[in-house]
Amino acid sequence: MRRPSKTVRTGQYVALALYLIFLGFPLLWLLSISLKTPRELASISPHLIPHHFQWSNYSDAFDAQGLLRSAGNSTIVALGSMVLTIVVAFPAAYALGRFKTRLRPIATGWILVSQLFPVILIVIPLFMILRSIHLLNSLFGLVLVYLVWTLPFALWMLRGYVAALPRDLEEAAAVDGAGRVRTLVSIVLPLLRPGLVATAMFAFISAWNEFFFALVLLKNDNVRTLPLTLAHFVGAEGQVSLGPLAAGSVMATVPSLLVFAVLQRRLTSGLLAGAVKG
Amino acid sequence: MTTTVVEPQLESPPSPVRRRRGSGSRDAWLLTLPALIPVLVLSVIPLAQGVYYGFTDKRAGLGIATHVIGLENFRKLWHNHLFLDSFRIGLIWAVSVTLIQFVLGLGLALLLNEDLRLRWLARTLALIPWAMPPVIVAIMWRLLLDPTVGPVNQSLKDLHISDTGINWLGDFHTALPAVIMVGVWVGMPQTTIALLAGLQGIPADLHEAAAVDGAGAGRRFFSVTLPQLRPIIFAITSLDFIWNFNSFGLVYVLTAGGPGGKTMLPMLFAYNEAFRYGQFGYASAMGDVMVLLVVIFLGLYLRAGLRRADA
Amino acid sequence: MRNRVLIGAVTGVAAVALVAACSSSKSSSDNGGGSGGGGGKVTLKFQSLAFQKPTVAAVKKIVNDWNAAHPNIQVQYSEGSWDSVHDQLVTQFEGGTAPDIIHDEAADISGFIQQGYLADLTGDLPDNVKSSVPQGVWDTVSADGKIYAAPTLLQSYVVMANTDLLKHDGITVPDGATLSWDDFQAMAKRATTGGTYGLGWGLKSPTATILSLSLNFDGKYFSGSGQDAKVDVGDNEKQVPQRIHAMAYDDKSIAPVTLTQSGTDILPGFYAGKYAMVVEGNYAAQQITEEAPKSFHWAVLPPLTGTSSNQAADPQTLSVAQSSKHVKEATQFVSYFMQAQNLAAVGQGDWLIPTTQSARDAINQATGGSSGWAQTLKGASSQVAAAFQAATNYPRWKDQIATPAFQQYLANKMSLDDLAKKLTSGWGDVNQ
Repeated sequence: MRRPSKTVRTGQYVALALYLIFLGFPLLWLLSISLKTPRELASISPHLIPHHFQWSNYSDAFDAQGLLRSAGNSTIVALGSMVLTIVVAFPAAYALGRFKTRLRPIATGWILVSQLFPVILIVIPLFMILRSIHLLNSLFGLVLVYLVWTLPFALWMLRGYVAALPRDLEEAAAVDGAGRVRTLVSIVLPLLRPGLVATAMFAFISAWNEFFFALVLLKNDNVRTLPLTLAHFVGAEGQVSLGPLAAGSVMATVPSLLVFAVLQRRLTSGLLAGAVKG
Repeated sequence: MTTTVVEPQLESPPSPVRRRRGSGSRDAWLLTLPALIPVLVLSVIPLAQGVYYGFTDKRAGLGIATHVIGLENFRKLWHNHLFLDSFRIGLIWAVSVTLIQFVLGLGLALLLNEDLRLRWLARTLALIPWAMPPVIVAIMWRLLLDPTVGPVNQSLKDLHISDTGINWLGDFHTALPAVIMVGVWVGMPQTTIALLAGLQGIPADLHEAAAVDGAGAGRRFFSVTLPQLRPIIFAITSLDFIWNFNSFGLVYVLTAGGPGGKTMLPMLFAYNEAFRYGQFGYASAMGDVMVLLVVIFLGLYLRAGLRRADA
Repeated sequence: MRNRVLIGAVTGVAAVALVAACSSSKSSSDNGGGSGGGGGKVTLKFQSLAFQKPTVAAVKKIVNDWNAAHPNIQVQYSEGSWDSVHDQLVTQFEGGTAPDIIHDEAADISGFIQQGYLADLTGDLPDNVKSSVPQGVWDTVSADGKIYAAPTLLQSYVVMANTDLLKHDGITVPDGATLSWDDFQAMAKRATTGGTYGLGWGLKSPTATILSLSLNFDGKYFSGSGQDAKVDVGDNEKQVPQRIHAMAYDDKSIAPVTLTQSGTDILPGFYAGKYAMVVEGNYAAQQITEEAPKSFHWAVLPPLTGTSSNQAADPQTLSVAQSSKHVKEATQFVSYFMQAQNLAAVGQGDWLIPTTQSARDAINQATGGSSGWAQTLKGASSQVAAAFQAATNYPRWKDQIATPAFQQYLANKMSLDDLAKKLTSGWGDVNQ
């Protein structure tokens, strides 16, 4: 096996550190803000470590307007959306990736238009439709909406991953007499694991962070999702209760990071070396 | 007994390819069935309505009737030079962000693909921009770049790179670049993860074979990695471009389209027309134009990519 | 065989989905919010945008007191947020599911009034409510002589000063009835010494501020109303922009960085003594009280005056949806909200000025006029309806023409004459 040299390795660690500073610093700063008093937030020489730790920002955020319940709602919606997206997109993406059907150009057309056409402009027709099938103001309706609006990304990306798969293994399975579903589940699924994990992460975070549909389609306080509750800390004329908002945001960020930490373990190759020998 | 011997033989196909093509179409429809109904009801129908409104005079108002007015909205748009100008800013923004996202994302994906220590931690931390709620992201970056209380300017002063700090979001020259940088930050996770998944899907044998043939790391990257990644690169960059072109929420909170209209993106116009002025028909016409132009722009990009990927 | 399994699975999922959908719709109600037949119990949905802790408490108390006194008209309190209320209302109006009682502001609802989504309250508002608010403020929520909302709280632009810095520069803190623009500019110039600026002004969104303060010089910008409104930028209109420009580039008394920051963003520099004065919405007093260092001494100066102290009134409002089934009952609650003690409690929580004199008196009594309340409450009497509020395409002109143009003028990238030309010709472009 070719091991990179020590200098290359060190260079890699340095590069990674630079990336992580760029990507992670704002979270550090957010943490810092969440522990500061309003007085310190308004001072003009900012320090990373607060001078006086104010833990009450967290209790303020916690008390406010059902943060816990909306976090629970968001969890249900995000997990449901993630699972449904994978279950529905996997077979469909395989079909679109492998078969030359009339569906393919139709699907491509739909994917492009749904991603390009301003989503905000279809919110009202969508609202009317959901109202007529009585799915307004329900978490399930929201999950369906998220499923349908994450599918384009899922199909687009998975189709790419499917296209990158070597056909040999599937053909070998077919020669051995495996049916369509067997091939899908035991051959393609493991190969597609990295792509599915990436799609799952995307589906989860899209649902977790989504604001506009939730704003318009949910009315009752008991079905409110987390982004809506966080929006309450932003008041009129740009006045922001920065401390509590930061505390609430830190609490909203942690679950996502946990989900990512768990999922990323499966972001590994499903291929065994030597499986595709000629 | 003879029948049982004969039947299995009849069942096994003469060649795998022949069988696939025959039942392919039916299987395709079956596999996509679960997706079809919700998509039809919750996506295709509202989209069709949205596109259709571009040809009407639909506007907000109690009991106001909607009439089809054909291409009238588009004629108005043709003379709306503010909207057409915003396309230039939109393209600069979308192309810059997508390009930088891709280059940086690929670099990060390659690093996260390596067998480094604490890889799980690095992979998780790299997704921080994804994990932060959108409402706080724009506010955070506004704070970070603030000329008075922001740590970025504070560091510039401490490092003696600048005396007074830079008014990143307020200066006419730095506003668009600053906003592009934030856009890149926000979009890094999706690009990185998509590329990482692609990298993980490359069979190790191919690398082995190339190494045996004497190729160094660089050669292997260009002759093995990139070609294998091609379908995924096209998929994620085209999607990134579309999303970037269509985004406006982030920029709106950062600069409200200012200063002096330097960061006014096309979507902001569509949003304002529909939600602030109540002109749903006109806004939908803007949407239609955006779809058309971007599809043309992407069409060339994608046709090259998809053809090569299917080969 | 396997395909049958697939079909079975799909059907099973669909069945579960339908069951879930039916059960969830039972537990939620998605009609306009009014229930109860004639003579029975009425339930009203009230969406409030209060977000400050004391204000939320005050509003909840008002709702609870009302519910206790009116068992047949129950009000359900729900929370909205300022940031998203407009988009939410647009969708809810289209779908007919808006709350009965809507909390918003005059500038925002003018569009909804024209679109017919708000109920006419003229007949249902009691006379004592009508007479307690000046006609000029009623005009901001009326159209064609009909009233579509009750104006509750006002804000005005005030000058706040760091009294220690002014003293240090030998400037007496004015405490008369008015502060003329000339004196204001002179003060700013005198206070610009030794690394400190005289004034910080957060003009990132300049249009509302400039158009409102232009009323100090009778600069109306607009005449006529509806689709026929016209824009005219004459000498009166040019006063305020010109004066600000002069302060920034001739006197160099405005800290340049503040011109592209928002009002709240310039406060830290104010506390740190980078500029002696700021121009803010009066509600900034709350933030200052909360955040400024204990050693920071400040005061609200008398209202800015040109030929008058007039500013454009943009009150917060309470309206009733046209689609509500109980307009009369909803209006009763709105009238209750407008009572002196209630309005005073809400105003104090938000640091905003009640529209009624009785409520203002109540606040003066409760606070003793401290923390700038005395000066702030005085400013209420010069709030009037402005001509631009009646122009149909004002929002479009503001977003696409006026704001970029003012920003460029204040960045010294445009001359005053070009600004005037741009504002007038731009109106022709957008008013179609």
